[in-house]
Amino acid sequence: MSGSLTLPQPALAPGGPPRGPEGPVGALPRLLPAPGAGPVDLRAHLARYGALGSAGGQDRLIREVAAAGLTGRGGAAFPAARKLAAAGEARPAPVVVGNGAEGEPASSKDRSLLWISPHLVLDGLQLAAAAAGSATAVLYVQRDERLHGRLAGAIAERAAAGTDTARVDLVPAPDRFLAGEESALVSRLTGKPARPVYRPVRGLPRLAPGRAALVLNVETLAHLALIARYGAAWFRTAGTAAEPGSMLVTLHLADGRASVAEAPLGASIAGLLGLEVAAGPAGAGVPSVGGAVQAVLVGGYHGTWLPAAEAAGLPLANEALRPLGAAVGAGVLAALPADRCGLAETARVARYLALESAGQCGPCFNGLPRIAAALEHLAGPRPDSRARAGLERWAGLVSGRGACHHPDGSVRLIRSALRVFAAEAGLHEQGRCRGTDPRPFLPVPAGLPVSEEDWS
Amino acid sequence: MSGITHTTALWYASRATGVVTLLLLTAVVVLGILVNRQGRLPGLPGFAVTGLHRSVSLLAVAFLAVHVVTAIADPYVTIGLAAIVVPFASAYKPFWLGLGAVSLDLIAALILTSLARARMSRRAWRGIHWLAYAAWPLAVVHSLGSSADARSGLVLGVLAGCVLAAAVAVAWRLSRAAREVPRARRAAAILSRMSARKAEL
Repeated sequence: MSGSLTLPQPALAPGGPPRGPEGPVGALPRLLPAPGAGPVDLRAHLARYGALGSAGGQDRLIREVAAAGLTGRGGAAFPAARKLAAAGEARPAPVVVGNGAEGEPASSKDRSLLWISPHLVLDGLQLAAAAAGSATAVLYVQRDERLHGRLAGAIAERAAAGTDTARVDLVPAPDRFLAGEESALVSRLTGKPARPVYRPVRGLPRLAPGRAALVLNVETLAHLALIARYGAAWFRTAGTAAEPGSMLVTLHLADGRASVAEAPLGASIAGLLGLEVAAGPAGAGVPSVGGAVQAVLVGGYHGTWLPAAEAAGLPLANEALRPLGAAVGAGVLAALPADRCGLAETARVARYLALESAGQCGPCFNGLPRIAAALEHLAGPRPDSRARAGLERWAGLVSGRGACHHPDGSVRLIRSALRVFAAEAGLHEQGRCRGTDPRPFLPVPAGLPVSEEDWS
Repeated sequence: MSGITHTTALWYASRATGVVTLLLLTAVVVLGILVNRQGRLPGLPGFAVTGLHRSVSLLAVAFLAVHVVTAIADPYVTIGLAAIVVPFASAYKPFWLGLGAVSLDLIAALILTSLARARMSRRAWRGIHWLAYAAWPLAVVHSLGSSADARSGLVLGVLAGCVLAAAVAVAWRLSRAAREVPRARRAAAILSRMSARKAEL
């Protein structure tokens, strides 16, 4: 599989052109340094990747990114070249924003990348600013003093070295699930609470009349920095033809260990989570390095549960996942152990998602708490036999009815839980439960929004 | 007053649909206020009230269309096509029918902006939706002024009931505004209520 923060580094071998940062083409990790090497300062960054140099004009960069087929790594997988091209045409030049809000509690890949390889992200921010013709850029990062201190240090390092042309402002993102949603980010940058805004979906978002924003996930920016250096052909040496390149993934193994790794798109989910593909009888769970696994959560808390036996045969690629109603998203994979209750796990997440509603759209702030309460009921002993039908009905009533996709994503997760844990729900009706281990598995933050300040 | 003949059918139809339209519009206003203040109706989840508000408003538009078409087609009075949308252009009772035309124009603005809601800013939509508070009283005054039998008897009773219902809803809205749950705590408030109630289904 891939290089990882916790796994040994792949062996380096001399290779011919086109070459990546080190080793043969396609060798991973690309974005992360050698495991155990610690955060990369500007000198180490330049030693590994070389200077950014002049990318040869914005048109060449956009052409190269389009040829590379780079898509947004924040979860939506939107083609990065199309955003860059739209930004290049916008007048006046849009403000370029690196989105590192990462409100998803199960994901820590953006924070890891910013902590370990900040200069790749900052390189990408400069490239995007140049492509957009902008003299200012913003790095929007989850409120965390240590991380902000480190990023401020990296920005100062670059200022001292004179590598940058665009000024970079660090803006803290509130610790809310939706803080990184594009319109919420734009709202926060205009001095308002980081809540999604109902807006027509066309073109770039606007900070002010006539002032657009080009918002790219921080990992997307890091890939941009590598494509500018090594080109599209090199980028495509990892991944599949339809979904090229590598991506950072956050892995939650069945034994509770979590790690961030870099994997090529199309990598086997079984390989990433240590699942044994040759599984025994269905129902017993799929054996893995961390113990037996009953189901895999793909794509985070707006994602989809898949039975472990099914997930073990799938690659991490939208081409294969989309027909099953799942998506790669921001690269979260969680292997639910066989001795936990999938309904109880989903109910905890559903409660969290309901509380993360921005409280703006009725179907969301009225519907999600009801759905979460009904799921908690279903996760308890001897639920009412009408609970499942009620959940399905409410799920249909909130889907597609918010300013943002929070209701849709939350409902996707809950519906997949009702499918995958249908047998578990049947056990609950008989007063039994498969969950013998009561400890919570999926990470859910405790702090609830209690005031307006929590959103800014 | 004689029975319904083919010459009076249009006249009766216009009157009847006018009364029904006003009843429906009153229901739309009351439901709209409920939606705005997160109000509930017995047996319905809060977000179903939103759907009801929309459905009843479309029904009201259908009745309004019949009301207008039958009034124009009725040979008993001369109103003129332009007077449907141009206020005070009617040959017959220009002032009272003009109020109806203004109300119709405002309702058209509400419906069109709501259909195009996904393509406009929330603030603009909200601003235009405030026009509902102008459209409804105009429709009431139009009814009173343009129809003599609305000033007495059963129809007057219906009108008074509509006014009372809307007044109660507005008063309720004003009282609820004072103790609104802030956005940041809305979901939490509902969730704790739901958990306490052990998932009402």
